[in-house]
Amino acid sequence: MTLDLLIQQLVNGLIVGSFYALIALGYSMVFGVIKLLNFAHGDIYMNGAFVGLIVFSFVGLWVGNGWLGVVCALLVSMLAVGLLGVIIERFAYRPMRNAPRLSILITALGASMVLNGTALALTGGRHYAFNTDLGFAGVDISTVHITYTQMVLVAASIALMAGMQAFVSRTMYGKAMRAVSIDMGASRLMGIDVDRVIALTFFMGSALAAGGGVMAGAYYGSVHFFMGFIMGLKAFTAAVIGGIGSVPGAMLGGLLLGLLEAFGSSLPFVGSEWRDVFVFGTLILFLVFKPTGLLGRSVVERV
Amino acid sequence: MHFGRTAWMHQQGKWRELMVVSFKRLACATALAGLALTTMAAAADIKIGIVAPMTGQLASEGQDMENAVKMAIDAVNAKGGVNGDKITTTTADDACDPQQAVTAGSKLVSEGVTAIVGGYCSGAVLPTLKIYGDAGIPFVIIGANSTKLVAANQGNAFLANSTGDMQATTAVELFKKNGYKKIAVVDEGDAYSSDLAKLTAEAFKSAGGEIAAKETTTAGEQDYSAVVTKIKSSGADAVFWTAYHAGGALLTKQLRQAGFQGGIVLGDGNNSPEYLEIAGSAGEGVYLLSPPTVDLLSGAADFKAKYKETYGRDAGAYAALSHDVGGLIADAITRAKSADQKAIIEALKASDFKGLAGEIKFTDKNTLQTSNFRPVIAKGGKWVAE
Repeated sequence: MTLDLLIQQLVNGLIVGSFYALIALGYSMVFGVIKLLNFAHGDIYMNGAFVGLIVFSFVGLWVGNGWLGVVCALLVSMLAVGLLGVIIERFAYRPMRNAPRLSILITALGASMVLNGTALALTGGRHYAFNTDLGFAGVDISTVHITYTQMVLVAASIALMAGMQAFVSRTMYGKAMRAVSIDMGASRLMGIDVDRVIALTFFMGSALAAGGGVMAGAYYGSVHFFMGFIMGLKAFTAAVIGGIGSVPGAMLGGLLLGLLEAFGSSLPFVGSEWRDVFVFGTLILFLVFKPTGLLGRSVVERV
Repeated sequence: MHFGRTAWMHQQGKWRELMVVSFKRLACATALAGLALTTMAAAADIKIGIVAPMTGQLASEGQDMENAVKMAIDAVNAKGGVNGDKITTTTADDACDPQQAVTAGSKLVSEGVTAIVGGYCSGAVLPTLKIYGDAGIPFVIIGANSTKLVAANQGNAFLANSTGDMQATTAVELFKKNGYKKIAVVDEGDAYSSDLAKLTAEAFKSAGGEIAAKETTTAGEQDYSAVVTKIKSSGADAVFWTAYHAGGALLTKQLRQAGFQGGIVLGDGNNSPEYLEIAGSAGEGVYLLSPPTVDLLSGAADFKAKYKETYGRDAGAYAALSHDVGGLIADAITRAKSADQKAIIEALKASDFKGLAGEIKFTDKNTLQTSNFRPVIAKGGKWVAE
């Protein structure tokens, strides 16, 4: 592998990895707090992209199709889809909170299908163009072309993740979140409004996924109802690799998975058709040999 | 015909087979077939049966086929007919349904037609091959193009539309014409696109070309950067994408974003306005291998105008090909110098007919010798004939 190729795949891996990381964060946070694998998370990402596209087409009439439009779409979509996450939690998951783990898992699958099916019905399965004026300008490092958009994208997702990490580790709400994740009952006894903390967790996780959705939509230029499916699976893989429940783990897992994919598909004798085998094979290996992931703690099963 | 109609056409092969399942016919369907059967014959003339979906979801296509065949026949009659006889037509509705197709076919046979043209859905055409075959009636299939038809043919049927695998031939011709020497072939891992990728790679290799990379993407995924990087580093002159428009648009965009300067060629699954919308400026100059839809044929402008004038509607996707087949059958009867069906079949075998949609010459399996897929190019946000 030449150096150029190495750098190019590194860049590719970082970009797709930062998307995975953003989505994996939400997965991980929700799992950390209520021990639920929120399978609707990929669909939240998809909804975020659609809300972003709608906002973008409206504000685009005034501010054009440039960065300002994307930022508006990003903020509105994060807010709206964050609230959607809270609503889903309130009506789908909260009534199930004391039910067996399997029931709430199935509820999550149901929520995923509702979101996915609604989007299919509303869009008719069409692929919508998300055309921005961001352009392909950028810098060249020998044959490697890195666009400014790509740089901003990686920087923005790192900023979002850093903000999230700061929130969880530095603020009172973050402390409450961590407390609820360790022991919900004791947190309640200490006067923490557990329902509110869980709602907040869903809000933040969903907002991050929506942010990822808008960025992916604007970057790849296309939005459709099924885009959350593979992204959800990959983000789940990233969360497991990093250690599900761990915020820095999700970021690490996302970036690692992105790099793994990029380099995995340029190994000699391993064609790109093997990429997903590679990715999900890694998931299985982790689940078998190190289910707590790279940075995760072992979860003590409470009965 | 506006472009939106062609969006789903890439799946027509599959569709036509699926139609079989999706049409739930009531018992009265048979009666409807009888109603749709319009006999305009004076007894002594040569009568040609048109079999097409006149009712159901594809009724609009069927109407186009009937109109366009009649237009060709009228033109022949206006010039004095064939061998001094006028040609008349009778239409039977197969509704793209196998059961109804059998009824319609038997009806045509009992009416004593000289020859039959038509057939849009492979699923509906397939069971009728035996009926026409046993009766020894020459049958020119207009739209249906499943390779299963080739196997079931008793020698009296002719496929005037290219079977799907002939697209590879057109692709290789285009590569050679544009001077591409190293091609990267990318598919989506499904049966259709990986078949086309495989066939094209084989055809290009045996034509002396080199396959620089053969990649597969995952349907529904948005990031193709790893594949794009491999294509770029493989030194390919051009990329051939064999799957569908959604992935095609993403791949095109990401190839151009990564600074890939070579050619991009798309399989017929990308024949959709959505492709152009999503690919945006990156789609300019991209080639698409298209079936011979009337909008994309450079020589069909007069036909299009005349069709609109005659029938008060735009000519549909298969109108040009239907028109060609109408002309072809008249030509074959002329060359057979009689209404003898064996002679007409022999004449069809020896066809060398130049139509709007391309040349019609048959192989010994009664399929087209030359593929009628044709490259079109994206210019100014539209597909245009080169």
